Amino acid sequence: MVLTHTTNHSYAHPFPTVTLAFFLRYYSPQLNPFSSHVLSTDTISSHVDPATGRLHTTRIHLKKSRMPSAVIKLLPTSVTGGAGDKSTYVVETSTVDIREGWMKTESRNLNFTGVLSVTEQQHYSVTPPDQSPDTKPSLSPATSSNTYVSTTFSYRSSLGNRKVDKAVATSDDPNRSRFGGWISGWGAKRIQSSIESIASNKTDDQMVKSRDGMGMVLERLRSNGVVAVLRELRRREGNVFEQSG
Amino acid sequence: MSASLAQECNEVKERYDTCFLKWYSEKYLRGNGKTDDNECAGLFKDYQKCLKVALKDRGIDKLLEEAREDTKENDAIHMQRK
Repeated sequence: MVLTHTTNHSYAHPFPTVTLAFFLRYYSPQLNPFSSHVLSTDTISSHVDPATGRLHTTRIHLKKSRMPSAVIKLLPTSVTGGAGDKSTYVVETSTVDIREGWMKTESRNLNFTGVLSVTEQQHYSVTPPDQSPDTKPSLSPATSSNTYVSTTFSYRSSLGNRKVDKAVATSDDPNRSRFGGWISGWGAKRIQSSIESIASNKTDDQMVKSRDGMGMVLERLRSNGVVAVLRELRRREGNVFEQSG
Repeated sequence: MSASLAQECNEVKERYDTCFLKWYSEKYLRGNGKTDDNECAGLFKDYQKCLKVALKDRGIDKLLEEAREDTKENDAIHMQRK
């Protein structure tokens, strides 16, 4: 089963600035105080498609575990590794089309997928989501003052599924191989849907923080260009470094 | 400054990030980024050389491969439904 959840939001900022804020949102806790759970961010591919002019980017973020503690409590320690404080690798793919004025992004966890797969898809656009592209006002992406974003979270727990059990059986960890038997005794479907619904409820709070974080980055970009913002960050972080050294 | 997952790549990552953000805001967003981010390509190469080792050491390359296969499977399911 898959549980999905969609929400719409709009930023009172032009589309190009919003896409820049998306790339900058984990750049520094000084820029976005809600990004302190992000331990690292790396780009693994980035290219412009010569035919479409679209920019395709793939990044990997390492985040302090977003696995809700309620989910952790449902699981034996042989699965969670004894703690909920493990880090999650998240792969984020994005496509920006600056001419047509839209950006599509998808983020999903790379580890813990045997327990829960969370996929976040976002569609940023100069056009409100309830409006078809045909009726869009003749505003260019750069001059339109609002950016609309539709966010869909999907939760899928595959706990106890055959594919996962196979993965568990090939695992070197002897504790993990016992897990397959544990789950079938409990009724995998019921546990799967509990995990999906707990995770879904937890996300609302995270989504507000994520939005606020984007808002703060956007405000900084409104008053200063990106180069000035980066220079200011470097200066401040440089000072911190000098103080601690 | 956001860190790289591999500490030894931090410096080259920062140089690439700065180059990318400048290219993105000053060229791509103004419609001049059609060719590719050539001015950052050299930095990106150096950065990837460093990062590839770390991705392999941590088994992230395998996780990425699995995720790609999983996406293909899901796409196939969704296509059938439509």
